[in-house]
Amino acid sequence: MYSLYLLYLNGCYFARIPDEVIRKRLLIDGDGAGDDRRINLLLKSFTKWCNSPGTPEEGFTQYQRMLGILAQCEFSMGKTLMVYDMNLREMENYEKIYSNIEQNIASAHEKIAECKKEIQRAKRIRKNRQEYDALAKVIQQHPDRHETLKQLEALDKELQQLSHIKENVDAKLELRKKQFHVLLSTIQELQQTLENDEKSDNDDNSQESPAENGE
Amino acid sequence: MSVFSQSFSPCGRFLAAGNNYGEIAVFSLSAALSPDSTALNQKPVLTFTAHEGPVFSLLSTDCHLLSAGNGEISNQPSTPASCLLPVCLLSPSSLKHLLSPYRSSLEIPEINSMTINSRDNSLVVGGGDNNIHVMDLENGVFKTVLQGHSDYVHCVTVREREAEILSGGEDGAVRVWDSRTGQCVHCIEVYKYEVCARPQYGKWISCVTTDSDWMLCGGGPSLSLWHLRSLSPTSIFNLSGCQRQAAFHQDLILTVGEGAFVSHCLLGGEVKAQIPCTPQSLNTLQLNNNSTEHRVLTVGGSSDHIDVFTNLSYRAFSLRF
Repeated sequence: MYSLYLLYLNGCYFARIPDEVIRKRLLIDGDGAGDDRRINLLLKSFTKWCNSPGTPEEGFTQYQRMLGILAQCEFSMGKTLMVYDMNLREMENYEKIYSNIEQNIASAHEKIAECKKEIQRAKRIRKNRQEYDALAKVIQQHPDRHETLKQLEALDKELQQLSHIKENVDAKLELRKKQFHVLLSTIQELQQTLENDEKSDNDDNSQESPAENGE
Repeated sequence: MSVFSQSFSPCGRFLAAGNNYGEIAVFSLSAALSPDSTALNQKPVLTFTAHEGPVFSLLSTDCHLLSAGNGEISNQPSTPASCLLPVCLLSPSSLKHLLSPYRSSLEIPEINSMTINSRDNSLVVGGGDNNIHVMDLENGVFKTVLQGHSDYVHCVTVREREAEILSGGEDGAVRVWDSRTGQCVHCIEVYKYEVCARPQYGKWISCVTTDSDWMLCGGGPSLSLWHLRSLSPTSIFNLSGCQRQAAFHQDLILTVGEGAFVSHCLLGGEVKAQIPCTPQSLNTLQLNNNSTEHRVLTVGGSSDHIDVFTNLSYRAFSLRF
């Protein structure tokens, strides 16, 4: 924290470090431990090493130490970069999955609507089928049409035959009637003739008897 | 308390129910069906007394609620279809003219059933004087009287395609009338058919409903499905008790009557299911076909509860008077 503050102050003189960066760095590494401290330590040891009057071996060990710290810093930076990359890729992945799921939801909605329509159609079909079945039951109770037609034909034929017979019988009846009529009228005429004869006989007799009486 | 009649508003969001005390209660379906409804939403939005006697029949037209009881039809301005302010709907003081088909007040029989003939915009009323009266809705004049029943008329219904009126009565006959000439075209005496007659219950017909080609009728005789063109019974439903109201719904037949359940039957004659309900015996059944989002079935009977079914297979909740 303090080092960051110092850096800020230095920054006012040497370079413009934006506030955002400061804020972010405070958030991430606010306690001053870790990478930031290492960089500061490196800077300090570098300046000390440049100004140190010590033996070349000491200088060399110091130099090695500094290289080590530099390597650590580089390593840590590389690690952070990779983590950042990974996060970006994870984000992409999640975006993809999210849009995938959205599409699935939309298609499921459509399928549901389709299925609902199917159900309505199937219900209508079922209703029609049941109506047909009910009517068929009623129709079954009535006798077959062919049979009825056949029965009708047979009855027609019988009717025709019977009317034929009736005609014959009628004609015969007429004939007999006429014959009887002829017979009866002949008998009547004969009766008349006989009566007439009788009468004329009687007349003759009565004429004769007065004639006889008159003689 | 018994609920005798129900009617949905034209917009499908309100249900009006009439009981045997002459009260009409209006329930808000959209409030009762919303996800955050409370017990308060299941009480009526508005209750008022419309008649002195029981309200036997309720009917919604586009702008009025017609209620019929003992001898008079009264006309309440209905909830507006836009339903802007559901709270201040109708006040009892705005009861419009009472229409009466009868000349003198001595003969006031009850009106059992009303239906609308949309072909010529007329109201068909059947009641206790054995006649069916047809009134023109535009000017309130009674046009025709259909005479033929020898006992009072329980139910009337209109057969759209053929312009015919069907009526069922206490005399056990279902009569088919031509709505233009007023002549009785057919007379089906249901109790004379052995397959459906139940002499132990009597010969009265209490419910008639039609699907243009088919007709359901029941009451004393068993509930039976008739094919109207051949006038022959095609299926008999073996339900104990007398059925008081029946309806065609998609490929099913829904029917209520004696017994604390709604019976679902197939057209072939088998009883598919019997869904239990709160009231001990049911008088009225209505399906809300006026609104796509509130497609419910409501039944009412000998109780102050009106059961609401959102899915036909089970009772969802009850509205209380």
